[in-house]
Amino acid sequence: MLDNNKYDRIPVTVLTGFLGSGKTTLLNRILTENHGKRIAVIENEFGEIGVDNDLVIGAEEEIFEMNNGCICCTVRGDLIRILSNLMKRRDKFDHIMIETTGMADPGPVAQTFFMDDELREALNLDGVVTLVDTKHVLLHIDDSDEVKEQIAFADVILLNKIDLVSATELDQLEARIHAMNSAAKIYRTQDAVIEMDKVLNLGGFDLDRALEIDPKFLEPEYPFEWSGLFEFSAGDYYFALQPGPDPAMNINFRLADNASEAGMRETVEKAVLVFSSDEISLKSGSVIEPSEQLSKINLEGEKLKYILRVPNAGSYVLYTEHHPEEFAAIITDAAGNQVKSLFNREFKPDHEHDEDVASVGISTPGDLDPKKFEPWLRDLLAKQGPDIFRMKGVLSFSESSERYVFQGVHMLFDGRKDRPWREGERSNSLIFIGRNLDREQLNKGFSECLI
Amino acid sequence: MPDIDYSFLDDDLLIELSQLELDDYIIELAWSSNGENLAAITVEGKVFLVNKYADIIKYKLIGQHDKGGNSVSWRSDGKEFATVGHDGKIKIWDGISGNEIISLEAGDSWVSKAIYNPHSNWLASAAGRQLRLWDTNREVFYESSDHSSTIADLGWSPDGSGVAVAAYNGVTLHVPHKQKQPRKYSWKGSSLVLAWSPDARYIATGEQDSTVHFWHRASGEDDRMYGFPTKVLELSWNSTGRWLATGGSSSVILWDCSGKGPAGRKPREYLAHSNKLTQVAFQPTGELLASTGKDAVLAIWDPMKHDKIIGRKILSAPASSLRWNKNANLAIGQEDGRVAIFKLKS
Repeated sequence: MLDNNKYDRIPVTVLTGFLGSGKTTLLNRILTENHGKRIAVIENEFGEIGVDNDLVIGAEEEIFEMNNGCICCTVRGDLIRILSNLMKRRDKFDHIMIETTGMADPGPVAQTFFMDDELREALNLDGVVTLVDTKHVLLHIDDSDEVKEQIAFADVILLNKIDLVSATELDQLEARIHAMNSAAKIYRTQDAVIEMDKVLNLGGFDLDRALEIDPKFLEPEYPFEWSGLFEFSAGDYYFALQPGPDPAMNINFRLADNASEAGMRETVEKAVLVFSSDEISLKSGSVIEPSEQLSKINLEGEKLKYILRVPNAGSYVLYTEHHPEEFAAIITDAAGNQVKSLFNREFKPDHEHDEDVASVGISTPGDLDPKKFEPWLRDLLAKQGPDIFRMKGVLSFSESSERYVFQGVHMLFDGRKDRPWREGERSNSLIFIGRNLDREQLNKGFSECLI
Repeated sequence: MPDIDYSFLDDDLLIELSQLELDDYIIELAWSSNGENLAAITVEGKVFLVNKYADIIKYKLIGQHDKGGNSVSWRSDGKEFATVGHDGKIKIWDGISGNEIISLEAGDSWVSKAIYNPHSNWLASAAGRQLRLWDTNREVFYESSDHSSTIADLGWSPDGSGVAVAAYNGVTLHVPHKQKQPRKYSWKGSSLVLAWSPDARYIATGEQDSTVHFWHRASGEDDRMYGFPTKVLELSWNSTGRWLATGGSSSVILWDCSGKGPAGRKPREYLAHSNKLTQVAFQPTGELLASTGKDAVLAIWDPMKHDKIIGRKILSAPASSLRWNKNANLAIGQEDGRVAIFKLKS
């Protein structure tokens, strides 16, 4: 038992962030906090201040290309050397922290753990923690590739120094960062104050853990934020709204098969199609009938009221582009009594994708044909590897009763069979974080690998 | 994979002389030239001296490098040896008494290696990218930082005239007093270890990209050998310079460097271990070869006669250093801090 523990892979946390973002403050916090772990630190030679710990080793960044000058095959030679030495004293510590310089590309650091066989066996890249100086990053996010890459590689992002920016700026920044890397957990901090279990032992490169932490990160994005299912009798109902944050919004009013959550769910895909079709603009007082028509309702002015005309008694679903609460919307019958939805659902909104770094999540049932999937992925990585910073996924291969979990950095890919699938659980979910990713092409290419 | 053939195994081939408990991962062992004394350095930087007095083996802790140890080397006359470590120092020790003679400042941080010239009192040291050569008076008479990365390994040429340096981008050969510019043997890759053939025709390197290169010293051309499953950290030439033994897998691979060299020739393979090799060493004089693996097995071969194990010992942990002396004694430093010393039955 002791021997087994002794040879467990040692977790490694990589700390990135620009000079002044608070890396050293966090490092000091991690070293002094009472978490019962003995931590070895590999510090970059330009460390801002010294760290008081016995096992601190300075490293000078040495980037080694491994093959033909391919950027995806670069590793950190200094880390290989230092970590190999640390492995000879593995009984002296339980965790390794690697602090990178502010300008460092996290790629070669992460790739080192895939490319070197000795380190791959002994160590487990637990996570990349990126510290962001909120004020600084607001100024540089648009013109700095290093900032984008550090965000794209992260498992955890700490928005630090939040006292220096306004709440609105912070919200906008968080939304942008989330759109770039939707797999990362984002925390707002001051003086890098954070609970240790949010930065250590993340299992960030362990997809199973990542999925447990945030099961929604792979959910597709929708063109609407809300839907509600109503039981209506034949006749007119009134959809009354107050002015809100937007001057207009798209809605779709449609029939459902039955008054159940499943009945509502069956209409989602059709509604997505409707929301991609041409809308007609309506003014307050207009009549809306259940149909495949997208209606753009005007939200400017007072006492806005639209008439939902119900031809026959039954179940109906209303899809709204924005959340009805933003407009204090209610539905009443002809007598003025409020009618509440039997079921409603909130959807993750479809963000504006103006970032060149973004996340593409694919989530789909069905079994993959390995003969199709392997060449597809190989081809994808060969062509787009330099643009793909991180990827993770759980796959369902035909003829396999076990889950297949994988993760990768650029062109490097590491996958293995995991536990058996449970009843009714089989499905595929994966995420790519990268630059210039074509959401549609990725989805299409992936679904063509299904049986 | 075929089973390892034990039909030639002689259980009595290796006779244990001693088992020492140094209690710290052994980084490197080195025998004095007469084979009487053995020095050891551990990962925590402890320096031990093992002396043999009339068949009794005794060892003592003689000092320490703060923060950690990296390498040990004896002067050719066997009177002193040098150790280096993470403290930026070269320490010189008396080979009999174990007293520290001097501590030299040799770098800002890690001194990764210091090795004595095979024929003189010169010492070559590596710290970061910097190579330094020290003369008999322990003064630096040559330095160079003309390397693409931290120096990974060093080796004096067999005649002692020059030092080859392995780093990222290949090998650099420095010949002080004779050539103005160091000679480059360039390769876009990270060379981790190097070994001169005893006839000085070749400088062999083990590489991060799982290859072995044979540099023809004179022409500057190289033969590249592919097919290793892992990076190659183990190289050992036989005494004549015809054969190079390499690790990088669970087998010992022997490359024939006679005539035109190893290119295009199928190497010999010796099925050795159930796991990756950790050490391989030819006798400096004599024909035998020793190998150890992650499986903590020591295997002895007579590779020119046949490809079967002739001697075998189960160790308490994998070996991290394996050194023959000229008296056919074999010292094995282990990851668990033990040093085992064997002799061959006569």
